Amino acid sequence: MPPKRKNHAAIKVEDVGMEIDVASDSGSEDEARRRAKNRRAKPQRKSKPVSDHEEDEEDEEDEAPRKRVRKKKAKPQESDEEDEEDNRSVKRKRSKASRKKAKEESEEESEEDREKRKKRGTDVSKKEKEEQNKEKKGNVKGKQGKNMGGENDKKKKNRKLSSSSSSSSSSSSDSDEESLSEGEIAALKEQVEEKKKLIATLRNKPWRMKRRLVLLKEAQGFVEEFEGALGKGKGRKLYAFKVMMAKKLIKFKRDFENFKTACIPWERKIKDVESHFGSSVASYFIFLRWMYGLNMVLFGFMFGLVVLPEFLMGLPYGSIPRKTVPRKEQDTAMDFSVLTDFGGFCQYSFLFYGYYNSDRMIGVLKFRLPLSYLLVGVGIFGYSLMVVIRTMARNSNEGGDGADEGEFTFSWKMFTSWDYLIGNPETADNKYASITTSFKESIVDEQENQKDENIHLRRFLRVMANFLITCTLGGSGYLIYFVVKRSQDFAKMEQDKLSWLEKNEVEFVMSLLGLVCPPLFETIAELEDYHPRIALKWQLGRIFALFLGNLYTFLFALFDEVNEKLETEKSIRNATIWALAQYYANYSSHFNTTDVPPPNVSPADVIRGPCWENAVGIGFVKLVVSDIQVSYLTILVGDFLRAVIVRFLNYCWCWDLEAGFPSYGEFDISGNVLGLVFNQGMIWMGAFYAPGLVGLNILRLLSSMYYQCWAVMCCNVPHERVFKASRSNNFYMGLLLLVLFLSLLPVVYTIMTLSPSFDCGPFSGQDRMYDVVMETIEQDLPSFLSNIFSYATNPGLILPAVLLMLLALYYLNAVSKGYQQANMDLKRKMKMARDEEKNRRNNKDSTNQVMKDLEDLLPNKSLIPPPIKEEPPPPDAKGSKSPKIKPGAAAKGVNLQKDVSLAAPNPRAPVTYAPGPRRGPPGNARGPQPGPGRGRGRGGPPRRYES
Amino acid sequence: MGSRASTLLREEEIEEIKKETGFSHSQITRLYSRFTSLDKGENGTLSREDFQRIPELAINPLGDRIINAFFPEAEDQVNFRGFMRTLAHFRPIEDNSKNVAVSEPLNSRTNKLLFAFRLYDLDRDDKISRDELLQVLRMMVGVNISDEQLGSIADRTIQEADTNGDNSISFSEFIKVLEKVDVEQKMSIRFLH
Repeated sequence: MPPKRKNHAAIKVEDVGMEIDVASDSGSEDEARRRAKNRRAKPQRKSKPVSDHEEDEEDEEDEAPRKRVRKKKAKPQESDEEDEEDNRSVKRKRSKASRKKAKEESEEESEEDREKRKKRGTDVSKKEKEEQNKEKKGNVKGKQGKNMGGENDKKKKNRKLSSSSSSSSSSSSDSDEESLSEGEIAALKEQVEEKKKLIATLRNKPWRMKRRLVLLKEAQGFVEEFEGALGKGKGRKLYAFKVMMAKKLIKFKRDFENFKTACIPWERKIKDVESHFGSSVASYFIFLRWMYGLNMVLFGFMFGLVVLPEFLMGLPYGSIPRKTVPRKEQDTAMDFSVLTDFGGFCQYSFLFYGYYNSDRMIGVLKFRLPLSYLLVGVGIFGYSLMVVIRTMARNSNEGGDGADEGEFTFSWKMFTSWDYLIGNPETADNKYASITTSFKESIVDEQENQKDENIHLRRFLRVMANFLITCTLGGSGYLIYFVVKRSQDFAKMEQDKLSWLEKNEVEFVMSLLGLVCPPLFETIAELEDYHPRIALKWQLGRIFALFLGNLYTFLFALFDEVNEKLETEKSIRNATIWALAQYYANYSSHFNTTDVPPPNVSPADVIRGPCWENAVGIGFVKLVVSDIQVSYLTILVGDFLRAVIVRFLNYCWCWDLEAGFPSYGEFDISGNVLGLVFNQGMIWMGAFYAPGLVGLNILRLLSSMYYQCWAVMCCNVPHERVFKASRSNNFYMGLLLLVLFLSLLPVVYTIMTLSPSFDCGPFSGQDRMYDVVMETIEQDLPSFLSNIFSYATNPGLILPAVLLMLLALYYLNAVSKGYQQANMDLKRKMKMARDEEKNRRNNKDSTNQVMKDLEDLLPNKSLIPPPIKEEPPPPDAKGSKSPKIKPGAAAKGVNLQKDVSLAAPNPRAPVTYAPGPRRGPPGNARGPQPGPGRGRGRGGPPRRYES
Repeated sequence: MGSRASTLLREEEIEEIKKETGFSHSQITRLYSRFTSLDKGENGTLSREDFQRIPELAINPLGDRIINAFFPEAEDQVNFRGFMRTLAHFRPIEDNSKNVAVSEPLNSRTNKLLFAFRLYDLDRDDKISRDELLQVLRMMVGVNISDEQLGSIADRTIQEADTNGDNSISFSEFIKVLEKVDVEQKMSIRFLH
C-alpha cells in the first residue's frame, strides 16, 4: 500500500530525528515548536517537486482533511496554512480542467442510457483524472489490475457498506465518520478511489443494465458522501460542519444521559442503603419511589381536573350551604380537636366530596365539573391499573433474559463486581460493603441449598405454624368486628359523653393489630425455617391477609353507616321538600302572588342531609392519618429509641445490649411493603370521596422517603441473613395489583348502586352518579353517538365481547405456556451440551477406553494419533458452544488462544486427574457416557460446597 | 495544552502508535497530555507512584493489579508507548472491518479478556489458582467475611469455572465464564476524539 511505504521511509528519516529530539527534549519549548514546524513542513516540501507522484499526492490529501478537521477545533498552525492553500488551488484547477474534458467526451459518446449521462458527467471526470494519473505512472497499474480482478468481491463488500450507509439515517453515518482516525481516512480514500474506478469502468462490464444502474447509483452516493471527508469536491465544508455537529451531538447526548441519571430522585440515597443493607432493603425504597411517581400523576389528575377548577371557577366559600359550616358547628369549627378529626372547616373544604357544586358547567370555560369528577375518579383506577400491569410486564421481561442463575454466580461476583468508575472514597466504601453483602447473600443461598434435615419434624412444625397463624388471623378479624359493632353503638350515643379512646377505637385497634401481628407472625415463622426469601413471601402473604381482613371489616362497617345515613337523609329530604312547599304555599297565600322569591335563609342555617360521601371520605382520611402516625411512631420508638438505649445504656448494663437481647432493630421489609401497599389501597378507595387524600399521600410518601432512609441508616442493622431481592419486585407489584382490584370493587359498587346525597357533592340531584355521563352523552354529543352508546351497552353485545375476551385470554395463556416450555427445553439442551463438552474434555483418551479401542482399530489414525486426537475436540467444542458465543467473539484470535490453552492440560489430565477425585461415581469405562456426567453438571454432587 | 503536547510528541511516533494501537491522532495527543500531567518526575516515563496518585486506582481494591498491568515484567517504568499499548485494550471495538489488520488488534474481545485475566493471575502462570483468588477476595471484601468463608467462596468459584479438573482457572475457562458478559462494551472507554 502506497501510504505505508511512504511511512516506512519517513520512519527511517525520523529515526535520525528522534535522537536529536530526545537530546533536546529538555530544551526550551520554543525550540521544540520550531522543530516540529520544520518537521511538518518537511514532507510537503519534499512532495512538491515530485507532485506527479500519486503516492505523495495521496499523502497530502491525507493530511489535508486532518488539518482541516483540526482547524475546526483548534487554531491552525501558521506554516501549514500556505501549503494547504496551494494544494487547494492546484486541486481546484485540476478538477475544473478535467470536468471540461469530461463534458467534451461525454458529448461524443452515444450510449443507450442517455438519461443517466448528466449524472455521470462528473463521475467521468474522475475517470479522466484517473487515467491521467495512470498515464503518468506505471507502477500503480499493476495494483489497478489487481483491483479489477478482485472487483467482484469488493463490489459485494462495497455494496453492503454503501447500502448500509445510505439506508441508515444521516446521523448514524455521521457518527460513523465522526470516529475517523487518520488510518481510516486513508482506507476511506482508497475506497472512494475504488468507487470512482468502478464508475469509470462500469460501461465495460459484462453486466445487465439493471445491475449496472444499481451499482452506479450506490457508487455515486458513496463518492458523494465521502468525498467531502477527503477534502475535495463540494461537500468538504459541509462535511466539516457535519463532523462538528456530530461531535456536538454526541457530547450533548452524553451530557443529557448524565443529566438524566442525575435527575432520578433519591438515587444516591437508595444506593447508599443498598450498599449497606443489600438489595432487598433497597427494593423497598425503590418501590417507595415508584409509588411516589405514581401518586404524583394521580395527584396531577385530581388536582388539575377537579380541585383547581372548582377552586378557581366555582362558587366561593360560604356562598351555598354545602360550602358553609352549619350554624350549630360554627363555634367549634376552628378547634384543633375538631380539625384533627377532619370536622369543622376541614369537612366543608375542597378536601372532601361534599364541597363540590353540581352545576353542569362552571366558569368561562364551561368546564363540566361533575363529569370531570366522575371521569377522574374512575380514570385514577384505570391509570393505576395500566401502570401496574405495564411495570409488571417489564419486570418479568427483564428477569427473563438474564443469565441463567446458578451457573457462574460466584465467578461473576468474583470477576465482575467491582465498579471501576468509582472515584469517590465514600462510594468505594459503599461498594466494598455491597460486594461483601452480595457474597453473603450467595453464601446464604448456598447454605439453604445444601441443607438437609428431618423432613417430618419440619413438616409438623410448618403445619403447626400455619395453624397458629390462622388462629391469630381469625382472632384479629373477630376483634375488629367486635370493635366496629361497639362503635356503631357508640355512634348512637351522645358524642360528648364518649372518651377519646371510645371515639377512635376502631382506628386504634386496627393500628394496634397492624403493629402487633406482623412480629408475631415472624416469630411463629421461625418454626418453619424457610429460606429467607420464601419466608419473606409467606410473611407478606400473611400480613396481607391480616390487613385485608381489617380493611374489609372496616368497609362493611362503613357501608352499614352509609345505609343508615341514607335512611336519615331520605327523611330529611322529605322534610325539606315539605317545608319548602309549605313556604311557597304560605307565601303565595299571604301576598297573593305566584311570583315567590326563594326563602331568604343564610346558607349556614339551611337544613341539610348527613352527606354520607363526606363521612366515607373522612373515614378514609382518618384511617390514613392514623396509619401515618402509627408507622412514624413505631419507627421513632421501635427503632430510634431502641437504638439510642442500646447504644448508650450499653456502657452501664450487666449484659451486652448490642449483641444480646434487645440489640438493634432490623428493617422490616415485609411490614413496610405491605403498609405501603395498603396505604395505597386506602388512597385509591378514598380518593373518590376525598380528593385531598391524594395530596396528603404525596406528603406522606415524600416525608416517609427521607424519614425511613434516615431511620434505616442510623438505627437499623443489616439483616443477619442477607438475601437477594430477586424479583420480589414483581411480587410487590402483584400485591399492589390485588389491592388495586380489591379497592376498585367498593368504589365502583358505590358509584353504580348508591344514590348520591341530594344536597352535597357534584352529583347532587342525580339519581345515580353515572347519570352524569348519560346526560352528557344525550345532550352534548350528536345523536348518532348516543345511539351507538345505547347499542354498545346492550347485554347482547357485551356478552359476546366478554366471551371473546375469555377466548383471547385462553389462547394467549396457551401460547405463553408453549413458549415457556420451549424456553425450558432450550435451556436444558444448552446445559446438556455444556456438560457433555465438559465430560469430553475431562475424559480424554486414557479414561475413555471404548474410544481408545476404536481408535486403535483405525489403521490410518494410528500413525498420527496426536494431531488428529488433539485437533477435533476444540472445533467440536466450539461447535457445540457456538450458539452461545457472540458473533464476532469467535474470530480468528480466539481460536489461537483456545487451541493453545486447550492443548496444555490434555497431556496432564490423564496422569493426575483422569480417574478424578471430582467425579462422583468411580470413573470406570462407562465414565464418558452422558448419564453420570450430566448428573454432575446439574444436580447435587457439584453443589457440594465446603463451608 | 493539546498543542504543546503534540509538539513534544513527534509526528512519526504518533504514526507508529496509531498503527500499533489504532488510536486516532487527536486521541494520541490528548492522551499524551494526560500522560505528561501524570508524569510528576518529568522524565518521560511513569512510575508506580504516578499511577497510584490517580484516585480511581488508589481506592480500587485491584488498583495495584491494574497498575501492574501497565508495567512489563521486571520493570518499574513505563514510557508513552507502553502506556498507550495498555490503554489500547480499552478502545471500543468498531465493527467496520475496513482495515483488517494482520495481527489481532489489542482491543479485541480476547485481548480484553486476557487483560482482565492477568489482573487475577498474580504469578503470571496463565492460571488463576485458589490462592490467587483468595488474595483477590481479601482485597475486595476485606475482613468482613471470615477466612473459611472466603476459602469456600474461592473453592466454589473454581468449581464453577473449572472444566478440566486442575483446580485452577485457565484462560479458556475464564473466557467461558465471562461468555455472557458484554466485555466488548464493559471493557471499553470512550476516549475523546
